[in-house]
Amino acid sequence: MTRKATRLTVEGLFAGYGRIEVLHGLSLAVAAGELLAVVGANGAGKTTLLRVISGLLPARAGRVLLDGRAVTGIAAEKLASAGLTHVPENRLVFPGMSVADNLSLGAYSRRRGSGQAVEQDRRFVLDLFPRLAHRLAQPAGTLSGGEQQMLAIGRGLMARPKALLLDEPSLGLAPKLVSEIFAVLGSLRDQGDLATVVVEQNARAALRIADRAVVLDRGRVLLSGTPKALLTDPRVQAAYLGRGYTEVAP
Amino acid sequence: MTGPWPPTSRTVRDRGVIDFLQLTVAGLSAGSAYGLVAVGFVTIHSVTGIINLAQGEFAMVAAFVAIALLAAGLPLPIAALLAVLVVALGAAAVERVAIAPAAGSSVVAYIMLTLGVSITLKASALLIEGPQPSALPAFTPGILSFGGVLVRPQDLWILAATAVAALGLYGFLERTVTGKAFRACAEQPTAARLVGISPSRMSTLSFVLAGVVGAVAGVASSPVIQTDWNIGLFLGLKGFVAASLGGLASIPAAIAGGLLLGVVESLGAFYISSGLRDAIAFFVLIVVLVARPSGVFSTHAGVRAGVRAH
Repeated sequence: MTRKATRLTVEGLFAGYGRIEVLHGLSLAVAAGELLAVVGANGAGKTTLLRVISGLLPARAGRVLLDGRAVTGIAAEKLASAGLTHVPENRLVFPGMSVADNLSLGAYSRRRGSGQAVEQDRRFVLDLFPRLAHRLAQPAGTLSGGEQQMLAIGRGLMARPKALLLDEPSLGLAPKLVSEIFAVLGSLRDQGDLATVVVEQNARAALRIADRAVVLDRGRVLLSGTPKALLTDPRVQAAYLGRGYTEVAP
Repeated sequence: MTGPWPPTSRTVRDRGVIDFLQLTVAGLSAGSAYGLVAVGFVTIHSVTGIINLAQGEFAMVAAFVAIALLAAGLPLPIAALLAVLVVALGAAAVERVAIAPAAGSSVVAYIMLTLGVSITLKASALLIEGPQPSALPAFTPGILSFGGVLVRPQDLWILAATAVAALGLYGFLERTVTGKAFRACAEQPTAARLVGISPSRMSTLSFVLAGVVGAVAGVASSPVIQTDWNIGLFLGLKGFVAASLGGLASIPAAIAGGLLLGVVESLGAFYISSGLRDAIAFFVLIVVLVARPSGVFSTHAGVRAGVRAH
């Protein structure tokens, strides 16, 4: 793989809730056109990591850089227009609003820009997820879990992100849908400009498409490397790929 | 005009029907004012989780501003529109000055802040206007008769103003980008932030919208209910009851709740006892809170309950 510029860098991140510290000096980097899988057990700090990167939770120490620019401490609602998009855990679509409105709100940070470019991205998203195209007028709350996940990703793409953070996109979905959604994430990565971070409990599914992966353990990076190396690492196999993790059909 | 309203008609054969219709129209008119105040509770609560105890005072201030502008020589329509504008801006100022600086406080602390705003506005009105009530003149004088059913034109004005305000709000929320962002913020605040919607701007907007609907209610109802420094308490409480009928979550339900409350009050005062007029609202509130705390008209109780989970 040709080395591309580092798009998203996390340096020595400390964060937590109240008196509980969750991240203890976590560092990682993702290049443009790269898909990084972040795996680890429940409570390892995966969701907290994404919440800090996207500005939902303040960092206690450390830095987040987007294209070399420090974005630490910028509120989430301002980061959306900087090119950082976070597709949150549990999808969090706007349930009472139509699929079309959910998508157009995804481009809210671009509302003063070109309507034509937004329309172009809307078509791109509907091509990626043709199921959504048939449901444009339907309230998002009435979609199936898989469709809501597609909508949440589609809404995220409508911001035209440079870095895309996904929190547990496979959560609660049938294996077939997981493959479908991960295939889309792979194809987005293959377009070469997007840096993607996928946080997953479903480690095998994530490792299958990732370029690189890190294993988080209690707020620190325990291991990092290629998916192949991690899949064969006995520590990873014992801790994260043992019984209880669903094997997903290719 | 003096004497009790509506006048009972004794000369007509089917006087019972006519009484009933007149009472219903008067109830709908009072009820639409309650409904507008209720909408104000809903817009603020759905985005911020705050129950704004100064909601009734928005109506009171608007009526006094309109009365003052009229006395200063402005034509009534201009005075009414300016009063709505002044209160909308005033509501934004309240949010910026009293609410926004307390970011991160508990919801109870915010509610106490709105109580402080309410007391401040009431005391100011009492100091400036004195204890005696005043009122705007009816927008159109006279009495209309529909087949023996006597109707004050002002009742129709109140209904029309409510319809215009409600449809305007509906159009804003359904058709404009900012309106959709406002709904998104109420439905799913975390996701709203992640697409770039600022919760603090939406909080200000919620006060502006609440100011507008409260002001319309205050100005349109002033000729009928008389405005005094304490009228906001009465309007606010009735509006809160109306809003709670819809679980504080739905604008159409808030308006329906207001209309229902107005009609029940009007009929109850006539057929049971006029002394019960104000007690009826609280009886309704107690029944609702005991039997259906999520609201009588609400269909998805659980969804909105979690609005302020984060």
